[in-house]
Amino acid sequence: MNWKTKRKLFIFVFTVPTLLFFCLFMIYPIIQGLYVSFFDWSGGSETKDFIGFDNYKEMLNDPIIGHAIYNDYFLVFWKVIGIVGLGTFFAVAVTRLRLKGAGFFRQVFFIPNILSVVVIGVLWNYIYNPSIGFLNSFLSLFTENKVEISYLGDEAYAMWSLLPPAIWAGVGFVMVLLVASILNIPAELYEAANLDGASQWQQFTRITMPLTWEQIKVSILWVVMTTLNGSFVIVWIMTEGGPDNATQVMGSYLYQMGFRQFHMGYASAIGALILILSLITTLALQRIMRRDTHEMS
Amino acid sequence: MHKKTLGSSILSAIIYVIMILWALCVLYPLVWSVFGSLKDNQQFLLKMPWSLPEWPLLWENFANVWTNYNVGTYFMNSLFVTIVSTVLALLLSSTTAYVIARFRFKGSQALYNLYLASMMIPLILGLIPLFFLLTDLHLSNTLFGLILVYTAMNVSFGVFVLVGFFKTLPKELDESASIDGSSDYGVFFRIMLPLARPGLISVGIMNVLNIWNEYVMGTVLVNDPSKYTLPIGIAVMQAEMQYRTEWGPLFAGLLLSIIPVLVVYFIFQRQITSGMVAGAVK
Repeated sequence: MNWKTKRKLFIFVFTVPTLLFFCLFMIYPIIQGLYVSFFDWSGGSETKDFIGFDNYKEMLNDPIIGHAIYNDYFLVFWKVIGIVGLGTFFAVAVTRLRLKGAGFFRQVFFIPNILSVVVIGVLWNYIYNPSIGFLNSFLSLFTENKVEISYLGDEAYAMWSLLPPAIWAGVGFVMVLLVASILNIPAELYEAANLDGASQWQQFTRITMPLTWEQIKVSILWVVMTTLNGSFVIVWIMTEGGPDNATQVMGSYLYQMGFRQFHMGYASAIGALILILSLITTLALQRIMRRDTHEMS
Repeated sequence: MHKKTLGSSILSAIIYVIMILWALCVLYPLVWSVFGSLKDNQQFLLKMPWSLPEWPLLWENFANVWTNYNVGTYFMNSLFVTIVSTVLALLLSSTTAYVIARFRFKGSQALYNLYLASMMIPLILGLIPLFFLLTDLHLSNTLFGLILVYTAMNVSFGVFVLVGFFKTLPKELDESASIDGSSDYGVFFRIMLPLARPGLISVGIMNVLNIWNEYVMGTVLVNDPSKYTLPIGIAVMQAEMQYRTEWGPLFAGLLLSIIPVLVVYFIFQRQITSGMVAGAVK
C-alpha cells in the first residue's frame, strides 16, 4: 500500500463508520418520519395504505391542531419575553450595576438549566399541587378560607401555569450568555458615557443593547427553537396535554396520536408540521432581527 | 466612578431584592425536595409545605425508594447507559471531527454540514420510526438499544465542537509526527487526542448531562421496568402517585437523580456553561 492509499483508508475508517451509524439512527428515522406521514398506518404490519396528503388535509380540519399550534406559540412568545427579559436584566445587574455576590447569583441561577425536564416537572407539580402544594398554602396565609386552586387541572389556569417552570428553567442560560458578552464591552465606553452624564438606562439602551445584540439574538432563537422542538416534554410530564386538550402542544399531540391512539401516519404528519413551523419561524426571525441590527448600527 | 445618589442606591436595593427573590425561587424547590424526602405522609398532609421535617428524620425513605421502588436499578441503568453512550459518542465524533478539521478530502464540507444541519431538526420527527427500527432490530426494551440511540443523538454536537477544537491545534504537530514515522492513527491517538482533552472533557460533560437527563426517547423505547433509567422511572413513579401516595420516597428518588447532576455541575461549571453556549450559537 502506498502513502496515498493509506491516507485514503485512514480518512475512510475515521468517517464512514460514524456516518453509517449516524444515518441509521438519526437521518433514516427523520426521513422515514416524513415518508410515514403519507400513510394511514396503525403501527401493525397488516395495513399500511398510501393516502397522499390526506393526513395533512385532516390536520386542517382538526381543531386540536390549531389549538396546539396556538399553545406552542403562546409558550414561545411568553418564554422569549420572560427568559430573555429576566436573563438580560440579571446579566446587566451582575455586571454593570456591580452588585455583590455576582458569582453566587450566576451559579445559582444556572442550576435549573442542568436539571432534567422530568425533575423540573415533578418539582413544579408539587408547587402547584392543590392540597399539599406550596402555592396554595402560601396564598392561604393571606385569605380567610383555604385556597384550593387546581392550577394544572383547570383549563383557565393550565396554560399559564406551564410558563413559570418553563421560564424558571431557561433564565440562567441567557444570563450566562449575556454576562460573557457584556464583560467583553470595553470599559472606556461606559466611562465616557458616565462622564457625559448618561444614566444607567441610557447606557443600557445605547451601549449594552447594541453591543450584545448578537447574543440577545442567539438567546431569542435558542428559546424559540427549544420551545417549538421540545416544549412538549414539560407539557407531557405536567398535564399530558389536559385537561380536555387545553394544554396540548404539537409534540404532546404527536405523542398521544402515535403512542396512545396508534395513528402513526397522522402523528408523523404532526412531526412534519413541527419541522416546517420551526424552520419557518427561525428563518423568519433571523431575517427580522438581521434588519434590526442594520437599523441600529 | 460615578456618584452614588439616593435614587441610585434605592434602585440597587430594589434590584438586589429581586435577585434574592429569584435565587429563592431557584433554590426553594430543591430545598423542599430535601425536606420532603425526610417526611412521612402525615407531615405532608397536616403540616405546611415549608415546615421542617420532624425528628427523627426519615432517612429510610432513601433505602425504601432504592430497593422497594427499584430506584437502585434505575440509577445503575442510568449510570451504565450514560457512561457507555458518552464514550461511544466521543469516539465516533472525535474521529470524524479530526479528519474534517485537518484533512482535505472530497465531501468534507458536506459531511460537516450534514452533522450541523441535523442539530436543527426536531428529534421528535424521528421518534416513531426509531421505535419501529429498534423493534425490527430486536433492540427495543434493551439498554443496548438505548445506548445506540443516545450515542447517535450526541454525535453531531461532538463533531461540531471538536472540529472547532482540532482546528486550533498547531499544524506543525502532525507534520513533525508523520516525519518521525508515526502512522495517521498513531498521530491521532497518541498526540491529537491528549491535546484535545479540554475539548473532549467539555463535550463529554455535555453528553453526560444530556443522556442522564434524557426522557422522551427513553420512555418510548423502553417499557420494561427493569430497564428504566432514572427520568423514566421517576416519571412513572409520579404518575403512580395518583394510586399510591408516598411523597417521601418520591422526593428521595428525585434527589437521587439530582445529586449526581449537581456534583458534576459544581466540578465542571466552566465547561458546562461554555458547552451550552457553543450548542446554542451554532
